[in-house]
Amino acid sequence: MKISINIDLCCGCKTCQLVCSFHHTKAFWPDKSSINISRNPQNGVVEWSINSTCDGCKGEDIPLCIKYCVYGALGLFKEGRKEKKL
Amino acid sequence: MIKEGSINGCLAGKILRANLSNKKIWTEPTAKYAEKTLGGRGINSFIMINEIHLGTKWHDPENLLCFGVGSLVGTMAPGACRVDISTISVFSGGKGSANVGGFWGAELKYAGFDNIIIEGKSEEPVYLYINNDNIELRDASLIWGKTIFETENILRRKLGDKNIEIASIGPAGENRVRGSAIIIDSAKAAGGSGVGCVMGDKKLKAIVVRGHGKIEVADPKRFMKEVKKCYQQCGNEPNAVMMRKAGLNKYSDPDYEGWNTNIVVKNGQDDQWEKEKRISLMNAKTGVPNMQKGVRACYSCPIGCIPFMEINKGKYKGTKGEGFWINTIMGHACRFDISDPESVVKSWLLTNELGLDGDYVAAGLSWVFELYEKGIITKKNTDGLELTFGNGDALNILIKKLAYREGIGDLLADGMIEAAHKISHNSDYYLIQVKGQPSLEPFRIPKGWSLAVSTSPVAGRHLRGATMGSNRYGPRPRPGDFNITDYRNQAKGVVWQGKTKELEDNLGICNYVGTWSGANFLTLDNFVELINSSMGLTLTKEELMDHYAVIGRNLEKAFNTLHTNLSRNDDLPPRRFIDEEVKSGPYKGFRIDEDKYNKMLDEYYELWGWDKKTGMQTRTGLEQLGLKRIAEKLAEYGKLIS
Repeated sequence: MKISINIDLCCGCKTCQLVCSFHHTKAFWPDKSSINISRNPQNGVVEWSINSTCDGCKGEDIPLCIKYCVYGALGLFKEGRKEKKL
Repeated sequence: MIKEGSINGCLAGKILRANLSNKKIWTEPTAKYAEKTLGGRGINSFIMINEIHLGTKWHDPENLLCFGVGSLVGTMAPGACRVDISTISVFSGGKGSANVGGFWGAELKYAGFDNIIIEGKSEEPVYLYINNDNIELRDASLIWGKTIFETENILRRKLGDKNIEIASIGPAGENRVRGSAIIIDSAKAAGGSGVGCVMGDKKLKAIVVRGHGKIEVADPKRFMKEVKKCYQQCGNEPNAVMMRKAGLNKYSDPDYEGWNTNIVVKNGQDDQWEKEKRISLMNAKTGVPNMQKGVRACYSCPIGCIPFMEINKGKYKGTKGEGFWINTIMGHACRFDISDPESVVKSWLLTNELGLDGDYVAAGLSWVFELYEKGIITKKNTDGLELTFGNGDALNILIKKLAYREGIGDLLADGMIEAAHKISHNSDYYLIQVKGQPSLEPFRIPKGWSLAVSTSPVAGRHLRGATMGSNRYGPRPRPGDFNITDYRNQAKGVVWQGKTKELEDNLGICNYVGTWSGANFLTLDNFVELINSSMGLTLTKEELMDHYAVIGRNLEKAFNTLHTNLSRNDDLPPRRFIDEEVKSGPYKGFRIDEDKYNKMLDEYYELWGWDKKTGMQTRTGLEQLGLKRIAEKLAEYGKLIS
């Protein structure tokens, strides 16, 4: 199981990226996040990826990115799609 | 109160200043202003009133264009993404301000800046490039003349980074069309006050930002405890859940009460739109909701209110973009009597692409449609366009003409009041404007809304205090005390809502996530805890509402008093809504009763601590807020009640 995304539900708010950086640094620092998101508001494409610095939020009950995703896009999935074209 | 040097979190720390005339760039510390105002718009307002000399016009090099990112932006405070853009209003000559969300503000803070203050005027088109400490004014000839979409695409390609954030103007701003917006992120518009027109006048095409730094808060554990609480409140709020699922709000229901209370039809001829037109526009299967392909959110937002639209049939098929709002319904549909969903969506997306303020387009161009209906202008004046109400294609052509100053667009581009002078024939009577800015808003039915819009320091917009109902807004009077069509009990709600908006614009919290939308979104208690834990302060709710919020409004009020001749008369609704009744629907016969409105206005002035008779500020009031220098300045020009 790994953290993955149902991109259909992702609104591109970047909260997961932000809370991830907080887990790593106790500051809000997107550059230090394990998650990268880019959005294209012109065609609606959101790209989401997670890199190897993810430690599954060691010390937390559940990964913080999942906990704070109010849109229900993130979860522990077997596999996830990375991109959706609208 | 905030003691000197006591803010120890949240701020990026520096204000970036750039002079476009001599191309100088420098910085100054943020704290000295943030301690007085909490940040964001407050800082912009302080700098404007301190530095802009009397007599300065919006098009003078001395006018400042101020970008103020709220102090909580860049953190995980819910909905903390907003940026205030302040300058001299091209409409009123007083304080102009527009507020916008997206991702640009947070990126600027990660780059190390809380505010950007632009002064001077460039001779050639430039854009400001910020990548942490690498800050340059660069040649913009490659993007000058391009639409918002083209500009963003060219810049991202040229700079090789798709994560840069861009605030730019379109052809409208370049052509100094008065109702031009600054667009962030292809779709989020800072629309009011003609801020895009000022940016175009300065020949500043864009501000491109990339930040790699961090924002720290004073007490991370305590801050995150409150953030978690806020996310639970907002994430589970029924309005938020509905917004994400149904997307296009309550107006999908043709019987929703907002259709009766908040709509202005055919440029103000009536406040009631036929039910079959509501259905035609908003039908789930064939109307606007059918074009919604997804939901998008601004930075750190637990609500997600942005519909992503794609027109899937007809001549505008294939047009895509973010955004369709209640203002789109009020403005681009009802105001023009257009119930064809494709035309309405197209016209809204077109305003974004060309860098126009959608509300201005609605209020200004629907006036032109009415002049055409009344025969005051004819095909001879409209380049052959048939500007009949309901003609969506004509609206879309007219929007382009306005942005590019083509034909009749050139007549309208210098502002509708200017155009009314040229057109004459009593045309100005039909122009719905407040303090010079065309206004989209309803006035005759919701009285608190009317008061807020008419008194807004930024002229004719609803976000500075509009309230709709006791179930959703304000200090929540007891049931039975509050009726939106009544004049009683409105001023208190408007002032409460106005004060919370002041705080939100300083903190950068979206009004929608904040106090405007629902009882269970963020509350003042949340604000207090978020501020104190992130900035290391010990402020109380009373200090926020009775001091910092009041300072914000008084700074703008004083700027208007000093720079314009606006008076109590300018805080009245447009004459048409006093003279003419609503013609149909459940509120048939409603109009503004001037005496009752004036009593409401008296109450409003008293609640802000201003002189009831004139609406002017008082020495005692300003000195209590620590604004002695501003009181002295007002007194020097005989514009203060001692």
